[in-house]
Amino acid sequence: MSADAATRVLFDEPGPRGRATIRLATIVAVVLVALLVAGAVWQFAVHGQLAAYKWQFFTYSAIVKTLIIDGIGNTFLATAVAAVVAFPFGLVLALGRLSTQPVLSKVSTAWIEFFRSMPMILVVYAFLLALPRFGVVLPVFWMLVVPMILVSSASTAEVFRAGIKAVDRGQWEAAQSLGMGPGLVLAQIVLPQAFRIVLPNLLTGLVSLLKDSTLGYVVSYGELMQQGKELVAYYHYMIQTYLVIALIYVLINWLLTRLAAYLQVRMGTRKAAAAPVAVDLEPAQ
Amino acid sequence: MYDFSRRGLLYVAAGSTAAVALAACSSGAPPTSTSTSSASGSASANRQISQDAYDTVIKGGPVADGSVVSASSWATKIKSQGYLKSGGTTTGAIFSLKDPTTGRIAGFDIGIADLLAHYITGGTDVSKLTQISQTSVDTRETMLQNNTVDIVVATYSITTARAQKIAFAGPYYSSGDSIQVKSDNTTIKSVTDLAGKKLVTESNSTAITALQKFVPGNTPTLFADNDSCVAAVEQGRADAYILDEAILLGNAVKATDLKVVGTPFTTDPYGVGVNKSDPAVKAFVNTFLQKIFDSGDWLKLWKATVGVYVEAVPTPPALGSVAGS
Amino acid sequence: MNQIWQMLADNFSFLLNGVLTTVGLTILGFVGALLIGTVVAVFRVSPITPLRVVGTAYVEFFRNVPLLTLLILIVFGLPDIGLLIPLFWCGVLGLVLAGSAFICETVRSGINTISVGQSEAARALGMSFGTQLRLIILPQAFRTMVQPLVNNFIGILIGSSLAAAVGVSDITNVTQQLNIRYAEAVVLFLLSGAVYLVFALGAGRIGSWLEGLVSTSRIGSAR
Repeated sequence: MSADAATRVLFDEPGPRGRATIRLATIVAVVLVALLVAGAVWQFAVHGQLAAYKWQFFTYSAIVKTLIIDGIGNTFLATAVAAVVAFPFGLVLALGRLSTQPVLSKVSTAWIEFFRSMPMILVVYAFLLALPRFGVVLPVFWMLVVPMILVSSASTAEVFRAGIKAVDRGQWEAAQSLGMGPGLVLAQIVLPQAFRIVLPNLLTGLVSLLKDSTLGYVVSYGELMQQGKELVAYYHYMIQTYLVIALIYVLINWLLTRLAAYLQVRMGTRKAAAAPVAVDLEPAQ
Repeated sequence: MYDFSRRGLLYVAAGSTAAVALAACSSGAPPTSTSTSSASGSASANRQISQDAYDTVIKGGPVADGSVVSASSWATKIKSQGYLKSGGTTTGAIFSLKDPTTGRIAGFDIGIADLLAHYITGGTDVSKLTQISQTSVDTRETMLQNNTVDIVVATYSITTARAQKIAFAGPYYSSGDSIQVKSDNTTIKSVTDLAGKKLVTESNSTAITALQKFVPGNTPTLFADNDSCVAAVEQGRADAYILDEAILLGNAVKATDLKVVGTPFTTDPYGVGVNKSDPAVKAFVNTFLQKIFDSGDWLKLWKATVGVYVEAVPTPPALGSVAGS
Repeated sequence: MNQIWQMLADNFSFLLNGVLTTVGLTILGFVGALLIGTVVAVFRVSPITPLRVVGTAYVEFFRNVPLLTLLILIVFGLPDIGLLIPLFWCGVLGLVLAGSAFICETVRSGINTISVGQSEAARALGMSFGTQLRLIILPQAFRTMVQPLVNNFIGILIGSSLAAAVGVSDITNVTQQLNIRYAEAVVLFLLSGAVYLVFALGAGRIGSWLEGLVSTSRIGSAR
């Protein structure tokens, strides 16, 4: 396992004295961490934020419904719509960039480089603040989702490009020597393999999209952060609400990431020691 | 894979089950405040806008004659639509605030919209009278010009610059910006004391321009919503919060460590934004506004919303008295 | 046209401050994330189990929490445990925490490419852990990490813009504020877009140059 390999790189197998040291260090570490956590919790309590009613708040079914059904539901909706449009669009851009046609290649490259460098919040502000001056006001859903699509298409394109390049050169050559034209090679041989290689990275991209959807807070679209804002506007339990929302996001994204890791193993493309495919899908945020 | 991958998933499953079980424990909506009501009967004892009282005021509002509605093509369109499309917000304390558990919106601004919708359509289901579209400072005028919304009621200050793009009916309320500080603050008593202090306000409010005039050279920190600004003052991140007086008074009711100082140092007349192309629309809304001023419904709405937090009872403003209206 | 120049001239220092804030957030965020990320990476591979647990929990939390939520918790939540941090440093802290989680994974992958023989030889020579890390492991690991680190840097640059949503006056926030006062939306947004573009492309260039510098020697890596 990579964890063990990396451990052995940095540390020798411990002998008896080493094991004793490790035991001591373990105890010290546990005590320190416990102290830190206790200190934070105590400070929290001192400021009155641990009051029972502030936390029991989240057990009311109406609040659960608002957060889970409305908030998470809308988050999923925005993320799904964005992914369904951005992922195929990203593939098209990747193919465009790899194409031998200079115009197509340059335009695709420009789009990708531009939107990979753009913060999503700036694109959202452009839609929210600049476009209305030209008479274009989109419904809030699209004011969130269109920027998500624009930004995600660029990073997805890079994922696909790396995947296509990762397919063994021999595949191309074999197919072409059989007389298949480049289009056919792509469609039948290369893309299916590339897709299997990058599927986990696409899931990471989905996690990125999900985190991007929090900008609904800025445009007032009813996803989870916006629901949090409305709950705080009415009930004023600011810290508790945003803490619970943070935990919900961590849980959902963690599950998605585990799914990606699981798929990586199942697809048998995981290489033991080296970084997988070296595609570092950078979070848009 | 991590050593505890399967254990981790197990913990997650257990945790979610526990959470669901907990959720089954208490149904319905949580209480909005844990404070005890005082026996004095003063306005501040009643700490929340009552949805029932609000609905009663709306349903008691005037309904236009059929002839009045059919004389206006705009009103006829709204009546056949069945509801009024209004631009506003759902997170505006006192003026337009949504109860997340019921989805109902109540407040002074949404009340004006609901009363107008009731006036035109005569509908009695208050929750269906108006459909709110979220607007911001930048999208309001365009949404009116494109007819995406029929009206905009959103603490919309009347200015001549804005009146060049859209029309204002009203004013329907005259407000002003005031100052909120911590209860133990003795240095800030009025706008003249604000120089050099750390100021905070909402990112889309007219208080920004007011501050540029009264406290030039001091750039306030801007946060997205009211509660962030309140937290900033409570936590010491800012010395003073400048916003509409009614909202600040509402904050002070819930947050006992804050107080409002001085008197409002600006006058902010709020108007109902409508499309400019047909002057009859503005005239129609003005007729409606005068009606609710005269019939006492305006005051009833005020008492059910702003009046919960503010004691001084106002008189309705004079229509058309402000440049741009 | 004159109005645009007038606006830019009147607010030049405001705009400049915005750019400097963005640069500051990014660079301080990246340096901090690099330091903490390396420490957390060591935690994650350490033989001391509590440290491994802390490291893994840290990465899982800060990788999966949205940056906007994290910033709101830092700005409004920390004062409730007694830490009132100036807004700019709240932004830096958020970027350091989130960025370090990603950099930790980058560093871990980098360490994985070092063959065990290298470090065993280092330890056989009597090098301490710190020396081993500094002289043998990290320099070699760094070779494979340049591109991912550049991506991490750009990620932090882009993340810095979210500080605008919690009141920090970076270039995005300045653009938004100027847009409220003047009507020149197009110019302002093109301006701030250009700032990010220049920095991101610049970072890419520096990364390529660095990669060229370090890729000459291939001694000792597992590839």
